[in-house]
Amino acid sequence: MDDFEQELRQAFERRPAPPNLKRKLMDRRADQRRTQQRRSHIQLWQRLAASLILVAVVSSAAEWVRHEREEHRQGEAARQQVLTALHITGHALDHLNTQLTAHDRTEQRQGDRP
Amino acid sequence: MKYRILAFVLGAAALTAPLLAQNSPLPLPPPVEKELAARASNVTEVTLGKNMLGFAARFMNGKDKDEAATRQLIQGLDGIYVREYTFDKDGQYSIEEIDKLRQYFETSEWSPLVRERERKGAESTDVMVKLVNGESHGMFILTVEPRELTIVLILGPIHMDELGKLKGLGGLGALGSVEKSTKNKDK
Repeated sequence: MDDFEQELRQAFERRPAPPNLKRKLMDRRADQRRTQQRRSHIQLWQRLAASLILVAVVSSAAEWVRHEREEHRQGEAARQQVLTALHITGHALDHLNTQLTAHDRTEQRQGDRP
Repeated sequence: MKYRILAFVLGAAALTAPLLAQNSPLPLPPPVEKELAARASNVTEVTLGKNMLGFAARFMNGKDKDEAATRQLIQGLDGIYVREYTFDKDGQYSIEEIDKLRQYFETSEWSPLVRERERKGAESTDVMVKLVNGESHGMFILTVEPRELTIVLILGPIHMDELGKLKGLGGLGALGSVEKSTKNKDK
């Protein structure tokens, strides 16, 4: 029991703190604060970069959709122009066919006459 | 110094002019066209270069037979130039003006395929073909009616058998048979 009491007394005996403990603790705390600040800065830049990338992606997608729509509209107009041109050509050739048929009939009639 | 700049400008123009001419094989409209357009009550103008035809071909529906055939036809062409003038009354154009339009294509490159004239002279149709090594590389159609005038110029290789596939586009499908009938007539 005496041994135990002695051990206990020694354990609770007041000892002076190492001379640089306070400085060490203050330094460690400052380090932690600096690290935390750096982390929050990095996080801020990361968030900003992510936002910029998101804005760029969304605006690129919107631009692509607009470009696709515009290209489709122009393509449709060009297609209509081609069809108009071919319809006019077809009409001209129809007219030619009619003229040729009429010409053939006249020639045939003249040939049939004695 | 001034002469150097002038020489440079002229040299550059001389070099680029043939290139520009190659890029746009479609002819400039003759002045008579402007006069006709001014008198017409309705004008339809279609001018499509090689690039535009290629672009339009991308938007042709491949499932539709006519459009598929049209796509095949226009993909190889250098250009399509169409003018259709409609007039309110007769006599809005003179024979001299029509002759001017004909003369535009009366060169050694172009051979007449059909030359149809009505006896009264009010209606006529000219079909001319540009032949290169025995193959048609262009077609000019001029249809004259009392109140309608149509000019069609198609440049580039034209395959009559491909035109024959265009049944849904009026007389285009019949062009093959027109060519055959004129060939038979020649015989």
